[in-house]
Amino acid sequence: MLELLKYPFVQRALIAGSLISFCAAVLGVILVLKHYSLIGHGLSEIGFASLSIASALNIPAVVIATPSVIAASFVIMFVSQRYKTAGDIAIAIASSAALALGIIISSLGSASSGTSSYLFGSVLAVSEGDLIFSVVLSLIVLGAFIIFYDRFFLITYSEDYARSLGINTALYQLIISILTALVVVSGMRITGTLLISGVIILPAVTAGSLASGFKSLVILSGLVSLIAFIAGLMISFAFNIPAGAGVIGANTLILILVKILKLKIK
Amino acid sequence: MDLRLNLQNAVIKYEEKIIIDGVSITAGPGEMIFITGANGSGKSTLIKTIAGLLPLASGKIERAKKISYVPQVEEADRNFPARVKEIVMTGRQRPGKLFYTQRDKELVRDSMRELEIEDLSEHELKILSGGQLRRVMLARALCGLPDLLLLDEPCAGLDVESHKILFEALKKNLARGCAILMVTHDDSDLAGITSSRVINISNGRIL
Ligand SMILES: Nc1ncnc2c1ncn2[C@@H]1O[C@H](COP(=O)(O)OP(=O)(O)OP(=O)(O)O)[C@@H](O)[C@H]1O
Ligand SMILES: [Mg+2]
Repeated sequence: MLELLKYPFVQRALIAGSLISFCAAVLGVILVLKHYSLIGHGLSEIGFASLSIASALNIPAVVIATPSVIAASFVIMFVSQRYKTAGDIAIAIASSAALALGIIISSLGSASSGTSSYLFGSVLAVSEGDLIFSVVLSLIVLGAFIIFYDRFFLITYSEDYARSLGINTALYQLIISILTALVVVSGMRITGTLLISGVIILPAVTAGSLASGFKSLVILSGLVSLIAFIAGLMISFAFNIPAGAGVIGANTLILILVKILKLKIK
Repeated sequence: MDLRLNLQNAVIKYEEKIIIDGVSITAGPGEMIFITGANGSGKSTLIKTIAGLLPLASGKIERAKKISYVPQVEEADRNFPARVKEIVMTGRQRPGKLFYTQRDKELVRDSMRELEIEDLSEHELKILSGGQLRRVMLARALCGLPDLLLLDEPCAGLDVESHKILFEALKKNLARGCAILMVTHDDSDLAGITSSRVINISNGRIL
């Protein structure tokens, strides 16, 4: 197994995947606590539609995916916040419509292998460009988390209270939407659009049953995700299965183990 | 005189339903105003609007910049994974200020001591009793050293001792020049602070 590390494409997959997994899970804490758990799922379908359009028009995927996923992310969060119950409906409609659109476009055009690699992810196809993108992305996400940590805590805890202090909650909503969109777009490459939401949500849920306090939850979620990614990647090499499925499998196993251990201890 | 609150002819609606219909309130430094009225008369709606959480349908409002608000019910999920200290600290956040300073930490410690919740500092939100949570909400508001303090039934769930502590703290804030609006149903509260005004809300208007 270790000699695989000699290969540059494995190195790239490992570095990019670890960074994105960590960032996704850190953000995931906010999304889970704010009851936006489904947003990653909705956004990845929109990402998939954008990718199909990009490949039909023959332009780089990120050029279309990034802005459209950011826009969708903000709209979904805004709708969920404004019309409390409508959030999951908005996500459900947007995601299935986008998925249908993506499928229509990719089946009309010459069936490109590009879109299917985005559906299931192709961790070994991580290019130098993808690697740089993921490094920059993680710097942005982690930097934002350090700078805005106290604000993120407050906004996640109670948006009303934040507003009573005079804080512009829409601005932070926007920042969180952008970060989520960036994580989704870069994560799609690795786990595939179908599974990225699991990478965002599962570690936060696992960490939620271990941590006490917000800070430890955020850190633990990132670490759980990192471990699950590396374990998942090894599983996928060992059994020759897609990396995304391996990573989600590892995440799910960890979650189940943690829950069982907690039951045992009680 | 520079007013802490100047609310003129406020009309507040939920959807199309008028809840507050032409209310005016002014409060200067050191002024204490009690707001009373039947259940559903619109007291919380009024306080929320002054806190900036609801829009005015018409009328105008000028408020001090530094406002602390204690809601009637804490909106956050009781299972939110936060410790008492983390929650009280948020009372020190203000626009344009991203990090807590040493002074913030001292003020938070002081107000937790004042409300006698230092021992709960590391406790998680979900294990607090109703009265303990109320004291956490009060400490969070007081550590903000507000110029305008908005209290929506702050005594709900407080024991006699905490009630006394709260009123001592309120007096200190009034002396500092803070204006206070407090919703209450308890006539004995009104006697707690001399030189205060009482505003009675009924059918969306001041009686
Ligand atoms: N979110 C809302 N949407 C629509 N109507 C509301 C909403 N919140 C409150 N109301 C209505 O507005 C009116 C005033 O409510 P409010 O909470 O301001 O009363 P209150 O005076 O604070 O009562 P209480 O003494 O019970 O706290 C009530 O008739 C209530 O049904
Ligand atoms: Mg009320």
